[in-house]
Amino acid sequence: MFNDTVVKEIDDIKSRYPDRKSALLPSLYVAQREFGWLSSEAMESVARALNVPESVVRGTATFYAMFRHAPAGRHVIQLCTNVSCMILGAEQLVDFLKSKYGLTPGGTTEDGRFSLVIMECIGACGTAPAMLVDTDFHDNLSEKRIEEILEKYK
Amino acid sequence: MITLTINDKEVSLDRPMSVLEAARQAGIKIPTLCYHEALKPYGGCRLCVVEVERMPKLQTACTLTAADGMVVRTESEMIAKVRRGILEFLLINHPLDCPYCDKAGECELQDLVNKYGATAGRYREEKRKVPESHKDHILTRNMERCIVCTRCVRMCNDVQGASAIAMMGRGGHTRMEPFSSASFNCEYCGNCLSVCPVGAILSRLYIHSFRPWQVDTEVETVCSYCGVGCSMVVQVRDDLIKRVVPRMGLGLNRGLLCSRGRFGYEYIHSQDRLKTPLVRRNGKLEQATWSEALRHVAERLTGIKKADGGSAIAGIASARCTNEENYVFQKFMRMACGSNNIDSLSRAGFAAAQKYLEELLGQGITANMIEGLKNSEVILVAGGDPGTVNPVLGLAIREAFRRGAKVAVVGHARGLERFTSIRLTPPLFREEEFLEELLAGVSRVRGLRGEKLDVDRGIRAISDAYPGISGLEGFDELKHALLDSPSTSIVLGSGLVQHSRGHRAIFAVAGLTYLLEARLYLLAERPNEQGLIDMGCVPEMLPGGRPLNNHDYTRKFEEAWGGPIPEEDGMTLMEIMEGAKEGRVRALYIMGDNPLVNLPGGPLIEEALKALDFLVVQDMFLTETGRMADVVLPAVGWSEKSGTYTNIERRIQLLRKAVGNSSGMEDWKIINDVSGMMGYPMAYEDAESIMDEIARVSPLYRDLTYREIGKGNSLWPYHGEPLRGEIHELPAAVNGTGSYTANFYLAPEKVLFHSGTTSRHSQALMRICPEPVLRIGPAAADTLGVREGDRVKVSTSSGSGEFPLSIDRTISDNRVLLSNNFEGSGVLRLMSYRLDPVTRAPGIEGCEATITRL
Repeated sequence: MFNDTVVKEIDDIKSRYPDRKSALLPSLYVAQREFGWLSSEAMESVARALNVPESVVRGTATFYAMFRHAPAGRHVIQLCTNVSCMILGAEQLVDFLKSKYGLTPGGTTEDGRFSLVIMECIGACGTAPAMLVDTDFHDNLSEKRIEEILEKYK
Repeated sequence: MITLTINDKEVSLDRPMSVLEAARQAGIKIPTLCYHEALKPYGGCRLCVVEVERMPKLQTACTLTAADGMVVRTESEMIAKVRRGILEFLLINHPLDCPYCDKAGECELQDLVNKYGATAGRYREEKRKVPESHKDHILTRNMERCIVCTRCVRMCNDVQGASAIAMMGRGGHTRMEPFSSASFNCEYCGNCLSVCPVGAILSRLYIHSFRPWQVDTEVETVCSYCGVGCSMVVQVRDDLIKRVVPRMGLGLNRGLLCSRGRFGYEYIHSQDRLKTPLVRRNGKLEQATWSEALRHVAERLTGIKKADGGSAIAGIASARCTNEENYVFQKFMRMACGSNNIDSLSRAGFAAAQKYLEELLGQGITANMIEGLKNSEVILVAGGDPGTVNPVLGLAIREAFRRGAKVAVVGHARGLERFTSIRLTPPLFREEEFLEELLAGVSRVRGLRGEKLDVDRGIRAISDAYPGISGLEGFDELKHALLDSPSTSIVLGSGLVQHSRGHRAIFAVAGLTYLLEARLYLLAERPNEQGLIDMGCVPEMLPGGRPLNNHDYTRKFEEAWGGPIPEEDGMTLMEIMEGAKEGRVRALYIMGDNPLVNLPGGPLIEEALKALDFLVVQDMFLTETGRMADVVLPAVGWSEKSGTYTNIERRIQLLRKAVGNSSGMEDWKIINDVSGMMGYPMAYEDAESIMDEIARVSPLYRDLTYREIGKGNSLWPYHGEPLRGEIHELPAAVNGTGSYTANFYLAPEKVLFHSGTTSRHSQALMRICPEPVLRIGPAAADTLGVREGDRVKVSTSSGSGEFPLSIDRTISDNRVLLSNNFEGSGVLRLMSYRLDPVTRAPGIEGCEATITRL
């Protein structure tokens, strides 16, 4: 269940929309942030907080690719391998993440520290390769830079 | 007027509609898959594409509104090619297992592929593999066959309002989940089953047991479970009911059914049905022939009548029986036995309320169309859960809510949980005070109406006694909503009637109805509670609501019935029971009911039945009451007989015989024969001949024929005289409130999946809801330190029982709910009663409960 701060946050989201269903996507983001992924419990909590049927919550959550339905690491790395990033070596970076951290696309490190998601263009083609760690943006990546960046995320 | 041209044919429309509907109205068929007349247009399957002149692309006819001057073509080479293409896409995943699939023969996809081709696809991809799911008790789910038309989802969300089905995932991997398994609040209405165009949702009740074209007979009839009276079609093969299906547009339910109606038919073919009459010999019930048993009944009743007079005999009629049967029953009691002691278990709820309401506001005050609920702006629900007692009526309230109506619920109504705008939780057993307070508040603003002086006087007295304000949450909101509403409906359930101060709640509801000119609906658990009263199965009234103490009326009946009607006042239900205990009533004839289980005060009832010299029970099953009887006579059930039911709207509807292989007899026939042996021959040939007589003697059913009733629009009063209620002196209301300080109060729960004797013998309903469960609110669970599934013992002053516990988030007060539907563990057994002095209904008492964890 959500704690009081989160309930308040969702109430605030609700107040921004004319009906409760519209508050569903932002509330699911909040739930994913709180629980790390959208477990049954997380979706139930959203359903209850918004008083929207659970079936609607589940249907919506499974439609969108940005919601996770399995536990993820503490930090989620979203690495772009689209054209510009690929040309500038993103695929080698994927290999590097695997050899250095044991991190495969879609997987999580054994210590639960990182999860890796391969994502499509994040609009940073001019400074490719680029990635997001949680919501922080990082570009001009190299193996060394990735190592330095990831040091900051425990 | 909109005029358009479809396939060179000019079509004129009297109201705006889609091109698809316009075409159908003109008899032009456009193929569809996602379109369904009970649902909003969706435009998903694209099969209904049509060519419209001056529109560049093909248009979906279901979503295109017909406009004046439109020129539409529904078939062309182009359109056929598109449709073939769509079907070919669908067949990428849809398996070609028609020979194995139950839907074959009534599958919309099969029919379309047959017509438009694309039987062999050009795609080489593997088909989607999803194993068929048999996890659920009732429905089989085959997601390989699903074509994602979303009809089931839309039915469940937009019409049924259960929101139990979700579309999961997206694109080619979309699947519907999870249907039932009860995890998503599934109500097992099965309406998803009726709208599925393919074999993706099938009923396990008949899976692989027949083909749609193998149905021998199809009978249009009326459901036997509750007072709504939904129309349905019973399909029979080899004298066995294969399934019950609704028909779109038919009857007041317009194609919707609830779990009981759709899946609760198996009791008809139950192995537990009584096979022969039983007669008690040397203390044991033994099998007997019909002639032995009937003769025995006639002899014993004649003997008791001779020795102690007719008033020593009493009869209990049944709201499960038809009008014809109840008519014959009361005629038999009055004429053959010479007794006005006729009542029914409806006295404990519907009949008590109905009688008092009619005295106050006039006959026919509750004769309102269920459809009218949908158009109400404010709906006040008190004393029951329409969603479980009368599920299809509950759907009308849900629809009104979705349309923007304010729905106010007093107390607990689980079925309206997500459809409540104003929730009011007055303290338990103080609901009548709350309603009186509300009436006082409304009358302060609205004043009196001046049409019915007695009612006005009663309202003034209440208005003087209460301040008309209340600190209860929602009170003011409700009061203002009622005062501002141009169209109000009030729905009253038996929960507020079954109380020794129930008449005060009824008066308050009557007062609100009167002041607000509201439509009033009375919930009815049994199919013929209204008909029962209309037929005169109440001690003080003859058929047609004619009072017994008026000679002008009785003379007319005496002429028709050929003899004198007993003058002595009859006893009401609980008076009969008390009379039996005291020896004043020596013989009791019960038709189709089980008072031992269905009334509070079990020990007293048991004592009363034991004290009887002679007890006759007519039923389909050997009930608890039947086991105490001297003679048990096997009756036939709903689809085995013809007759009529009168629903809560007072719509008279025809019940038609569909099967006939049991060894029981129609209730009217049994009584007809006994009556003949007692020297009062009736000699009816069939149910229709009884209705002919009813139509002659009852002013309410005057000139009614089966032919007319069969058309489905026989709403009471039918060709009747103008109906006027008798002006009565207002009874003095009982003051005082009693003290209610216990931690927990036991209250009867009406279960969506059960009704009692019949549902208990329906395997499907037993699979959905197999055992009684004690429901308490989350706060109460915390106090007790109990968890979901714990076994607990609940005790009252009348007894105790052990049940698994369920925590119900919709319960917000200290009530504890238990159903009365299971053998040996009914809630009423744990309660005593006190008579309401006005309605004579047994008011439930002694529900202070203690709960201990085992």
